Amino acid sequence: MARMKIAVLRHSMTGRRAGFVAIGGILGAALAVGTIVLAVSAPALLPAAYAGWMLGWILGPVFAGGGDETLRPEYFTLVGLPPRRQATGLLVSAFVGVAPVVSLLALVGLVVEGARHGAGAALVALPAVALQLAVFVLLSKVAVAVLGIVLRSRLGAVPAGLINGTLLAALGQVWVFPVAFGANGGMPEFIRYLPSGWGVLAVQGEPGQAVTALAALALLVALLLAAWAALLTRRTTATNRSGGRPGRRPGRAADQAPRAGARPASDGSTGSTGSVGSAGPTDSGSPAGSAGSAGRTVPQSRAVLGKELRTWSRDLVRIHQLSFALAYGLAFAAAPLLVGWPGMLPWAGLIFIVMAAGMSANLYGSDGTALWLTIMTPGAEDVRGRQLAWLLIVGPPAVVLTVVLTAAVDGPWPMILTLLAALLGGGAGLVPLVSAYGLVPGIDPHRRSGNPLRATEDEGSATGQVYVVLALCALTAAPAGLIAWRYGWPGVIAGLVTGVLCAWGFGLLAQRRLTAQGPELLELLRTGRRPATKARPDLPRREQIISGVCWGFGAIPLFPQGVVPAITKLNGSGTRSWFLALYLPEWLQWPTIVFMISLGLAMYGAGLWIWLRHRRHPGLATAA
Amino acid sequence: MTAALDLAGLTKVYGAKTAVDHLDLAIPQGSFYGLVGQNGAGKTTTLSMGVGLLRPDGGTARIFDIDVWADSGRRAKELVGVLPDGLAMPERLTGREVLTYLGLLRGLPERVVAERAEELLALLELDAAENTLVVEYSTGMRKKIGLATALLHAPRLLVLDEPFEAVDPVSAATIKEILRGFVAGGGSVVLSSHVMALVEQLCDHVAVIDKGRVVAHGTLAEVSGAGSLEKRFVELVAAGDGGAAKGLSWLSS
Repeated sequence: MARMKIAVLRHSMTGRRAGFVAIGGILGAALAVGTIVLAVSAPALLPAAYAGWMLGWILGPVFAGGGDETLRPEYFTLVGLPPRRQATGLLVSAFVGVAPVVSLLALVGLVVEGARHGAGAALVALPAVALQLAVFVLLSKVAVAVLGIVLRSRLGAVPAGLINGTLLAALGQVWVFPVAFGANGGMPEFIRYLPSGWGVLAVQGEPGQAVTALAALALLVALLLAAWAALLTRRTTATNRSGGRPGRRPGRAADQAPRAGARPASDGSTGSTGSVGSAGPTDSGSPAGSAGSAGRTVPQSRAVLGKELRTWSRDLVRIHQLSFALAYGLAFAAAPLLVGWPGMLPWAGLIFIVMAAGMSANLYGSDGTALWLTIMTPGAEDVRGRQLAWLLIVGPPAVVLTVVLTAAVDGPWPMILTLLAALLGGGAGLVPLVSAYGLVPGIDPHRRSGNPLRATEDEGSATGQVYVVLALCALTAAPAGLIAWRYGWPGVIAGLVTGVLCAWGFGLLAQRRLTAQGPELLELLRTGRRPATKARPDLPRREQIISGVCWGFGAIPLFPQGVVPAITKLNGSGTRSWFLALYLPEWLQWPTIVFMISLGLAMYGAGLWIWLRHRRHPGLATAA
Repeated sequence: MTAALDLAGLTKVYGAKTAVDHLDLAIPQGSFYGLVGQNGAGKTTTLSMGVGLLRPDGGTARIFDIDVWADSGRRAKELVGVLPDGLAMPERLTGREVLTYLGLLRGLPERVVAERAEELLALLELDAAENTLVVEYSTGMRKKIGLATALLHAPRLLVLDEPFEAVDPVSAATIKEILRGFVAGGGSVVLSSHVMALVEQLCDHVAVIDKGRVVAHGTLAEVSGAGSLEKRFVELVAAGDGGAAKGLSWLSS
């Protein structure tokens, strides 16, 4: 299985994906080196660092949509392996990859820590490293498996989303916890005793403690392996109910054509082919049976709206996204309450909007190849209905949250209302726009595996897309926000105007893109590969990769690694989160931030430059 | 008379592989046309390009003399009903909701949509699964709801990619009856399949596609000649093998 995975990985190492893996690997390696440095310079914090790694292993795949599923257990169902053996095989293959290697590097810190306590402890560190890595990987697998089972019903998707959202928000606001515990700079004792700290305990203590800790790690590995094996069996044998069953029979058509009247009609129709006439070629409009008046037509956007609203309320992935965004907004804004500062509460609704936009940005990707129906329907206007549905789903909770919480703290009304209007419009515009332009091919819903959250094979690009939308969405509200900050109430008007403009204009662009490039987008969705477009016939492969990396990931150094830590540092709030700069010594922090921002800008510049250079080639016109 | 579907010089190249190679084919109006070929011969690619789902690298596709690829094929798409192979549907809707959504999207009046949906669901025996979302449909049911969406707007040409795959015999009989009725009423049908018996049973015209080209086409009698279609197909496609029986020696001991 490990060899199979290497083969699969090798085949998928192309273009953007390879670029992302490389960047992720480099960032991870940097963090790992940081951990080793920590082991040398501040060993007391080592358990906390490993707790961070463990949290990353558990949350990373959950956030990215289900973790590494290069090899799915379903592939091996027919081979008939016993569960334990299958789990062992999959486990071995789980260690093949970039993330385990990076974590292994980070765990070298254990050896460093051991060496401090003598040669014996350094020797103890070797099995400790192996066991600790196994714990990380297995915890990740078990977390995903549990989530996969919980998420098979709508009842499970909501709490899962709420928990994930809260956890991630807590991670983002992690600074409040040390402050709240009154132990600024110190570390709560319990972190040392988390499984992530057992390796450290093993190398620090005398032989007895080392043996106990190692045994505990080994036992944990065995338990997790058994749990995972059991969960795998459940997954491959359980019927995959990836959609919640609608409790009632919804639908306009159902209401209008009651069953009682339908029965006789159907009985009569099975006999003769003539009754197929209503769908047959001789019939041009009014079906047999309905004499004359054929009823009225409805605008297309209403049809799309109906479909979208039902999808939002039934698709577990979307339910999870929404509850995630809601919990994230609430938890993020409420976290500062722990230190007695309610000033962030009014922002909960706004954070929810931005998060919801980010999570649902791959709208067309998550619907998969159903796009063919839109292409085959003459003059279909799909975008407006989707925008309306998004607004109807996200708008009300956002408005209620914002109004109630702002009233509770009697907050800065002009600013909050301005941003509310601007963000709602911006989100409604960006969601179709980004999903039409930056489409990340998803797995068709009916082909999704045991983990319903796993909606795409390419979570690298999907995650990048989320970040891009988060940043862009915030950006759409910036102009109105500036006006509100400067002049107060007039900002609300500006917010309404920019909101409406964004929703209208971006929607129009998205619709144009869909109409012009529909077949190409469909091909991308179907094959998972961008069609070898005639658009860039002369763009050499190397430059394709470079520009792909530049466009896809310029946002990461620019925003989360550049602008955000700069703001954090200016505020002096002390959260380090995953901001590389803030992990470095003080004198290096500002240069790193400046470097990251320039790197991001340079990446966008380079991407733009390559693109502009090739735009002059005539070939582009055929597809654009 | 103009052809129901006229493909001229259609070409699609994926990297080094030419999937469809200057393919010419005319589907006469009122014909029941079978497209046969091995896996990977280019059937799906050809049909996708013919109806507007996949942009060709060269050549034209015309439906009742309307260019599919000009003006985003608006007029042409009103005349054709398509059943693609293996593509998704609006998965979180029930069968009836799918039909309602698509009917309204095509601008049909609400009453008409409701009546046609009712009739199609009953005819295809999907009305028993009233509360089942499409995502939970079996493969055969997916084919049937796909066929219903293709028929919903009363097209004059049906383009069906593997319509009988994984469909149970009873439903297959129903579908055959629907399609025969459709042709009898003046409609035209193109379907792809690699089940020769089915094509022989249903179609009046047939084209054999191999390596992205049409290697034989015409009425069923013209193509299959004296023997069966299957025999002729193997002769056409498996060139060089001579049809020698290459059994798995280790299976018969």
